[in-house]
Amino acid sequence: MSAITFAQMLSAELLKLQRKRAIMAIAAFFTVGVTVLYFGISEVQHLADPGRYGPAGGMHNFNRATVILSIFFGALTAILVGTEAGTTDTASGVFRDIVVTGRERAWLFAVRVPAALIVTLTLGLSAVGLALAATYGFAGGLPTPDATYVVDSVLWVGGSQALLCVIAVGLGSLTGSRAGSLTALLGWQLVAGRLLAMITFLGGARDAIPNIALGALKPGEQLPDTNGLTMSSALAVLIIALWAVGWLALGAWRTRTRDA
Amino acid sequence: MSTDAIIETRELTKRFGERLAVDRVTLSVPRGCAYGFLGHNGAGKTTTIRMLLGLTSPDTGTMTVRGMAVPQHRSVALSRVGAIVEEPHFHHHLSGRENLRLLAAVRGPETFARIDGALERVGLAERSTEKVARYSQGMRQRLGVARCLLADPELLILDEPTNGLDPAGILEFRQMIRALVGEGRTVFLSSHLLDEVEKACDAAAIIDGGRIVTSGPIAELARGTRVELIIDCDNPDRALELLAGAPEVLEAERTGAGLRLTLRAAGDGAELNRRLVEAAIAVSRLEPVRSTLEERFLEVTSRLQAVA
Repeated sequence: MSAITFAQMLSAELLKLQRKRAIMAIAAFFTVGVTVLYFGISEVQHLADPGRYGPAGGMHNFNRATVILSIFFGALTAILVGTEAGTTDTASGVFRDIVVTGRERAWLFAVRVPAALIVTLTLGLSAVGLALAATYGFAGGLPTPDATYVVDSVLWVGGSQALLCVIAVGLGSLTGSRAGSLTALLGWQLVAGRLLAMITFLGGARDAIPNIALGALKPGEQLPDTNGLTMSSALAVLIIALWAVGWLALGAWRTRTRDA
Repeated sequence: MSTDAIIETRELTKRFGERLAVDRVTLSVPRGCAYGFLGHNGAGKTTTIRMLLGLTSPDTGTMTVRGMAVPQHRSVALSRVGAIVEEPHFHHHLSGRENLRLLAAVRGPETFARIDGALERVGLAERSTEKVARYSQGMRQRLGVARCLLADPELLILDEPTNGLDPAGILEFRQMIRALVGEGRTVFLSSHLLDEVEKACDAAAIIDGGRIVTSGPIAELARGTRVELIIDCDNPDRALELLAGAPEVLEAERTGAGLRLTLRAAGDGAELNRRLVEAAIAVSRLEPVRSTLEERFLEVTSRLQAVA
């Protein structure tokens, strides 16, 4: 397949996602909206009662914002966009009409991944940009992150969102069910993953939980989810890569073998 | 397999669990015609089509599309095939034009230039910017055809394309099929509607219980192996006596106003007429019985047994 065709297919995937107004609105709210609310409310509180509430910006609030934008609300956006990208053709019945063009199914899957990542990261990194602006703009006398820390944090937020996004694309393509994939991933991300991390007798096996691995790579303060678990950066990267590759492989396999 | 057939299957078989959906289907569809694929609901039409298009794989058997073996050369074989399977599906949140853009992107850059023409041809150019969610069933069917045309297809595979259309829509669809055939394209039309196939197609295959029970040009299929003639005359009893023993006549029976004969060959009617006239019997009517495809269909399929 030519690069032009791939680019046009990618553009078509983006069109499908962008025109899902409700999903885009929710995804934007979970990233940009939540960031605006977090810093906006904090600043209003600070202005209303400076003695009780500190400035909205600064290092500490930036750290909190990156956690919100990675494993909490940013994760929801990544899951929402990823499952939509993974299931939209099968859910609408269009998958069959695309398959009969003769285009290799592997490519039909392959274009979903960058499309979902572009949408997720555009929203996620826009929110990080807002968070940075607020971090410095509302810092008052508080310390602010240096350039290295900012770059590390942006990479970490982007990486966290990208991981959940590709898992969602893979799972969505595997099941073909938007509702099922969303429920499973939200349940995992918000409940099951955290419960497993707290079960101490699982010991080192808990390192395989994505949030634990992500936590090991987080710059600055440790994630609350990690429950004190630590691992080397290399192992964390390996675990994250295995999750991403594993789910992508499953999604690609199902797209190639699915009865359309 | 011959190369002048645009679709060829040999011993194609597909089983779903215990149920044999397609049973050793051997089919040859010539290029440049409208070819009907006729069968009851559940006869195996859609499963056969799905195998041809690579939507599901056969258990055994071989097939070619445009002379190329599928699924081995599926991508090239289907590059100039347009297909609607069961009903066309679309992204309802996108406009008709945007839906075509999505498919054009998958087919390749040269396809984008065909979007306007395809919309124009199916009469949707003026409403192409509306969301598909607002389209009627008939408009969606037409958009489905427009999507097929993006491939500049040598072959169109249409599975029950007139489902949900009103009579005017069906007529329009039939005219479109004939126009497409007039351009040298082949239309493979699957349907359970006998009338639709009889009026739109040049040839057909009848499938029943997963098996092809007969195939050929529509006229031959309708006629089957029986050649019948109705004769009205001024002395039917004498005419029956004269013709009953004639070598051209297989069966002869007296009817209300005359005779009904079963002949060995279609051209024998003129000879029988000459004999009647020579015997001074005045013939007021001599009419070949035109069997309909419906009669033939019921004759060869299991539905007849159910009715009987």
